[in-house]
Order: sequence, then C-alpha cells, then structure tokens
Amino acid sequence: MVAQLVVNGLVTGLLLALPALGLTLVFGILKFPNFAIGAMLTFGAYTAYLANVAAGLPLAMAAVLAALATGLVAVACDALVFSRLRDRGAITLLVASMGVSLVLENVCRFFFGNATRNFDVAVSRPLRWEGVRINHEQIVTACVVLGCLVFLQLLLRASPLGRAIRAVADNPSLAAVRGVERQTVVRITWFLAGALAAVAGVLAALDRAVDPLLGWNYQIPVFAAAILGALGSPVGAVVGALVIGLAEELSSLVIPTSYRQAVSFSLILFLLLFRSRGLFGAKAVRK
Amino acid sequence: MTALASDPMPALAVRALRAGYGSGGDIVRGIDLDVAPERILAVIGPNGSGKSSFVKTLAGLLQVREGSIRVTGNDVTRLSPAKRVSAGMAYVPQEANVFASLTIRENLQLATELLRDRPGIGPDRQARVMDMFPEVAGRPRTLAGNLSGGQRQMLAFACALLANPEVLLLDEPSAGLSPRFVDDIMQAVVRVRESGVTVVLVEQNVAAALRIADEAMVLVAGQKTLWAPAADVSDADLAELFLPGGH
Repeated sequence: MVAQLVVNGLVTGLLLALPALGLTLVFGILKFPNFAIGAMLTFGAYTAYLANVAAGLPLAMAAVLAALATGLVAVACDALVFSRLRDRGAITLLVASMGVSLVLENVCRFFFGNATRNFDVAVSRPLRWEGVRINHEQIVTACVVLGCLVFLQLLLRASPLGRAIRAVADNPSLAAVRGVERQTVVRITWFLAGALAAVAGVLAALDRAVDPLLGWNYQIPVFAAAILGALGSPVGAVVGALVIGLAEELSSLVIPTSYRQAVSFSLILFLLLFRSRGLFGAKAVRK
Repeated sequence: MTALASDPMPALAVRALRAGYGSGGDIVRGIDLDVAPERILAVIGPNGSGKSSFVKTLAGLLQVREGSIRVTGNDVTRLSPAKRVSAGMAYVPQEANVFASLTIRENLQLATELLRDRPGIGPDRQARVMDMFPEVAGRPRTLAGNLSGGQRQMLAFACALLANPEVLLLDEPSAGLSPRFVDDIMQAVVRVRESGVTVVLVEQNVAAALRIADEAMVLVAGQKTLWAPAADVSDADLAELFLPGGH
C-alpha cells in the first residue's frame, strides 16, 4: 500500500516538476509568479489532442507540436501583454497573468466545449512488480519528465543560453553590459515555460482526460512545489514537486483523497508562516 | 581638452549629452568630451553630481535624451547596452559587478560567448587577461558571490577586458575597499591602460584617482566644470569646485 503510494507520488511529483520549472524560470528573470501556467498546461493538452485525434498524428509527435505551439503562445502572451507591463511591478504582472489564464482557458472552451476528451492511444495492461501496480502512462511520464529535466539541466548549466538565462535572473543590468540581450533571453524563457507546461499537459491528459479545467487541477500543487523549492531555483522546483507529489499521495493514508489539495494549501501556508524562502532559498552567497 | 584636427581619433567622443531618469529632469546636462586612446580620465565631483549617471548613460543603462556618443568614431548613441559591448564599450558597475550565483569560470565564459561580432576576443585575449589578474585565474569553480570585495572587483575587470574593449568605464572601483585593496585596484587600472584600453574612471577617492589619471573632469550638478591634466588639478581647485556655488 505505502509502496504503491510512493510510486504514485513520485510520478505525480515528476509531472508537477515541469510546470513548476516553467513557473520558476519565468519568476527567476521577471520576478512575478505566472498564474497562467495552468492554462498553458490546458492549452498544450488541447493542442496535442487536435494533432493526435483530428490530424491523426502519433501522440509523441503531437506532444512535440503542442510544446512548440504553446511555447509560441507564451511568447505571444509576453509580446502582447507582459512586456507592456514590465515596469509596473510584480502585482500588476500577476493580475495580468490571471487575465491571460482566463483567456487561454476560454479559447479552449470556445473551440472544444466543456466535454472531456481522450487521446487516441492504445490501452495497455499495467505492470505488476512486488505487488506494486505501474501503469504504462506512469512509465511514459517518468521517462519523458526525466528526459526533459536532463535536457534542461544541461541547457542551464552547460550552454551559453543557460548561462545567459541565469545571468539575467541574477542581475539583469549587469547581464546587459556583458553583452546579453535581455529581451531575447526573456522570450526564450517564455518559450521554454510554455513548452514545459504543454508537455505536462499531454502527460496529465494521458493520465486523466483533456478538459478545460485540466490545468486548474495542477495550479495549486505547482505553485506549492515552486514555492517549496524557493521561487527562482530550478533544482528546488523539481525537489519541491517530488515532495508535494509524495505528500499528496501519502496523505491519503490519514485523510480522504478528496482533501488531497489541502496538503498543497497547507504546505504553502506553512512555508509562508515559517520559511518564506522555501527549502532552497537560504542565501548561500552574498548578492 | 578637445581633440584638435591633427589629433588621433578619440577613443571616446561625447557631444552635448543629456540624460535622466523616467520623466524627471536631466541629470546629465550637456556634457562634451574627447578622450584620446590609452588615457585614463578621472571623473570626479561631489556626491549627487551625476558621475554614476554619466557613465551609466555611456554604458546604455540610462537613455540618452540629447547628444551623441562615439567609440573610435562609431556612433553608439542608439545601441542597446549589449550592442555597445560589441562596439567596444565595457562597463564595470560600482556594486553587484559580478554574477554572484555563477562560478568564476561561468562569469568569464559569459563575458565573451554572446559577442559574435567583436574582433580580438578568444583564447589569446583570455590568456593575456588572466596574466593581468592571477587572483581570479586559479579558482574557476568558486562562486563569485563568495569572493571578497577586492577579488570581485578584479573578476569584474577581467570580465570587462575579455570583450577587448576600446573604452572601459569604471564606476567607483575602490568603493568599500580597504586602503590596501584601493592601491591594488588602482594599479590594476594602470595595467589596463597599459594594455591599450582607454579608461573612464569615476571615483569618490579623488586623491587615488588623480594619482593614476592623465586627465581629470570635474562634474557638478551634471555639468562639466573643469577639464585639466590630472597633475595640474590642485586641492584649492577641488575645494572651490566641490563647494556648493563654488564654480
């Protein structure tokens, strides 16, 4: 029972890690929490549904197209909304992202309605190992997310673009006078955030179904994960997501599953009260 | 000092420069200057005289309202800060002059890897700069945020010089450093000049700046009130110029 919950929790945590990373990357360079991350996840799932079911493409290819399309939508949101409000402060940008969230969610409703939809994928039998049931979707989720995390880690740590993203997050003015065009870095980061949310949307819909509130179901846990890991810290976001995933699943040992989201809320409350910097927010270096 | 027709092309030429923050009044108010190649210009003046705003305007962090800025004859007035680096202008801010969350190696890598069209950058340049700043060369994995103030300043100099600048803008490099480190920093500035770079040095430590500078410019209320060879600037001149209403 506990082993099953741990497996489920780790996979749930991995799924949360992608949008939490998208949230924390944007926060790192623009210093505001993007409330539209859930709607981007939903938009990605619908785009993949369109490519998979309407166009008949394999789900893997549909997921890649969804990542590209949602990345471009995120860049468009920046160009049309966020870049125009850049100097207005974090609260204004947060409220604007709520508006963007409503628009994206209702665009999906307008074209696809409120009915739930499923991808065109073959149903496969779950694996059983030492009494633990592991779904095909869970294996796919774990492999895809781990692949994305390795790619992102290499991008951030070992590429000029990653160093530029981290430099803009650290000190945007200094980055500018070291030859880094901030606007380019901001747009690339938005693209990455949108693409990560879309991949998470496809994986979430594979586990559940595509519906307009798909992203909303993940909104609170994603924020809790990013805050737990200290907003702006990519490694922290992944660890935070795993902790939230495990905590939500293991909470079913002591509280009804319908109260699962209360775990994320409680963690956010706890962090705000006792450790507002999150787990990875201790200042290791002097700024 | 204004360059004559027979003088070599100035490394930095500024004409009628005006700049300010937001919708406020001008902080930099009509500055003209020419700095010849391989010279150190000390920019001095009382607190709030616009010295830092002046170099920020040169670096592109403060928008030019009027006037022009040329680096070795090329107009950089409308370029972004990043493009000014490619045009030969490097800037070391007073505070937060290294990326604290990146290692020394990453700071050094970032100094050049996005400058595609800047000539003269590469391994040879890196080797020469590392020779000038051995303090930072031997600790590539150290987080820049864990360096002392003096070491950060050296790393910041090294990063700026890796871009092979024509003009290096330094905003109060001795601020917050102990007297022993101030001498080290000033000697580093001299080494930079000797490597062929023109230096614009903003300093509160007037005595230290004048010891190494070739020329001095006094700014008061955003305007140039004195330009003279550094050796000719006397304490009496400075006292008169720095006092309110003294110019």
